[in-house]
Amino acid sequence: MNRRGRTIALYALAGVLLSVWAFPVLWALLTSFKTERDVLAYPPVVVFTPTLANYREVLFGASSILPNLWSSLIVTGATTVLSMLIATPAAYALARLRYPGKRASGFYVLATQMLPPVGLIIPYYLALQKVGALDSYGGMILIYLTFSLPFAMWLMVSYFEDVPFEMEEAALLDRAGRWRAFWHVVLPQVRGGLAVTTIFVFLNAWNEFLFAVVLGGNRVRPVTVAMFNFISVEQTQWARLAAAAMVAMAPVILIGLFAQRHIVKGLTVGAVKGGGRR
Amino acid sequence: MNLEQQERRFALALVGPALLLLLLITTAPLVYLLWTSLQRLDLGMPWVKGFAGLGNYAKMDGDPRFWNSLALTGIYTASTVVLQVLVGLSLALLVLRIPKGQGVLRIAAILPIVLAPVVVGLFWRTLVLSPEFGLVDLVTRSLGLGSHNWLGDPQLALISVIAIHTWQWTPFAFLVLLATLATLPPDLYEAARLDRASAWKRFIYITLPLIRPAIVMVVILRTMTALSAFAAIFAATGGGPGSATEILNLYAYRTSFTELNLGYGAALATVLLAITLAVSWLLFRRRTARTA
Repeated sequence: MNRRGRTIALYALAGVLLSVWAFPVLWALLTSFKTERDVLAYPPVVVFTPTLANYREVLFGASSILPNLWSSLIVTGATTVLSMLIATPAAYALARLRYPGKRASGFYVLATQMLPPVGLIIPYYLALQKVGALDSYGGMILIYLTFSLPFAMWLMVSYFEDVPFEMEEAALLDRAGRWRAFWHVVLPQVRGGLAVTTIFVFLNAWNEFLFAVVLGGNRVRPVTVAMFNFISVEQTQWARLAAAAMVAMAPVILIGLFAQRHIVKGLTVGAVKGGGRR
Repeated sequence: MNLEQQERRFALALVGPALLLLLLITTAPLVYLLWTSLQRLDLGMPWVKGFAGLGNYAKMDGDPRFWNSLALTGIYTASTVVLQVLVGLSLALLVLRIPKGQGVLRIAAILPIVLAPVVVGLFWRTLVLSPEFGLVDLVTRSLGLGSHNWLGDPQLALISVIAIHTWQWTPFAFLVLLATLATLPPDLYEAARLDRASAWKRFIYITLPLIRPAIVMVVILRTMTALSAFAAIFAATGGGPGSATEILNLYAYRTSFTELNLGYGAALATVLLAITLAVSWLLFRRRTARTA
């Protein structure tokens, strides 16, 4: 094959790729603007009169997901803030300071990141049931921390390790004190890392499902669980499901597009430098 | 107080709260899980109570559904990880040669990764795989291959949930490997080309050894995700039809929260925990052995 033919073939392949990944999402977007009748038309219609009825229904109708978005926002927001507040100083110590048991504590954090969620949900269910805290924000946030906190710690460790040593040394020689060196010299250096980590913790918590479906109830029901409102044994409301999914996933899709350059780094955290090295 | 002591105190003040909290919210529940797995605890039969010893574990031996779920976990994990690495690597090698437009591809690849697995499962269950109206069915029908009940037939259902997982996470392998390939030094290839090494040989002897750490890392992370996969299968098939897609994770869930037999469910979850830790230990050991 000549050079030009090869380039064309490559682009064709790239096009196929693009559509395999993007098409289901775009198809769902299209479906969300259809009437239920257009959804089930055969052959499928691409040109149709778009309607906002589905969005109106899932936002303000009888099966509104607004309360669920609110639940998700509270649980995810609180989880993110708490994780960052606790993980950031801890990650600095793990990355930079010498203390006894450092290697072991690093392994410990890594191990907690690998626990299968189904192993955690059973004791949480039993314990929260005993104290009457099923379907409560407190219990939900606590179990969300089990995956957010170790994740945030490992991601922040990799950012702290990139800060040049000289900066802190200079600050310490100035007798600035360790807290002030950490606060005024090191933290500003990892501003980007803090933003990326916050975004990832938020994204993971927003998408969580197993914990939400078991521990949730009528009061605390995150939006990932509410998706099932539109599916029943008798009938699936396709267009409404698509609209609800679009609303529920809008935050993470926007975040993904906005932070795409950092996605790979965030997803590989823990294995890049984790374990072994120290 | 000397400097070393001062540093130690400072470090413990920073890392202490996080470690204590992790101990409380992850390790303590695991101890409780182990304890529960030694109990007879069935909320459907509240009168059946008490210490069971290893009874729940002994029960697995004669439980065909357990062995089925174990086999499915193996098939599901192995096939999704292998597919992700093979497809992801091939795509990365091809896309690397595209001079323009990599940015658009990267954005398309990000989409499946950021979606909640439960939403992915529901999309596939309705828009992609449902008989008659789904995208896949449209394609097979227009190709004359007929309409199929993709999630209702036991064998097709297993293939379908493997396809769903592979669809969602191949972009991850693709992005990581693409980023790694882009950092390889071009002069190595120049020398090989002067030596008239074939493209295949260049790949085997130059590219592969250089990207091996990245591949191993992808395998480790993807294995962990596959072992704890839940939401997409739950949304697409719920583990069915029957127990055709019931990997260990789903079996433990169904036993605990559908059949309400939490004692046996806890034992199943403990087995999954042991498998996860053993597999990660093996993979990590291999990784450090290779890179050392």
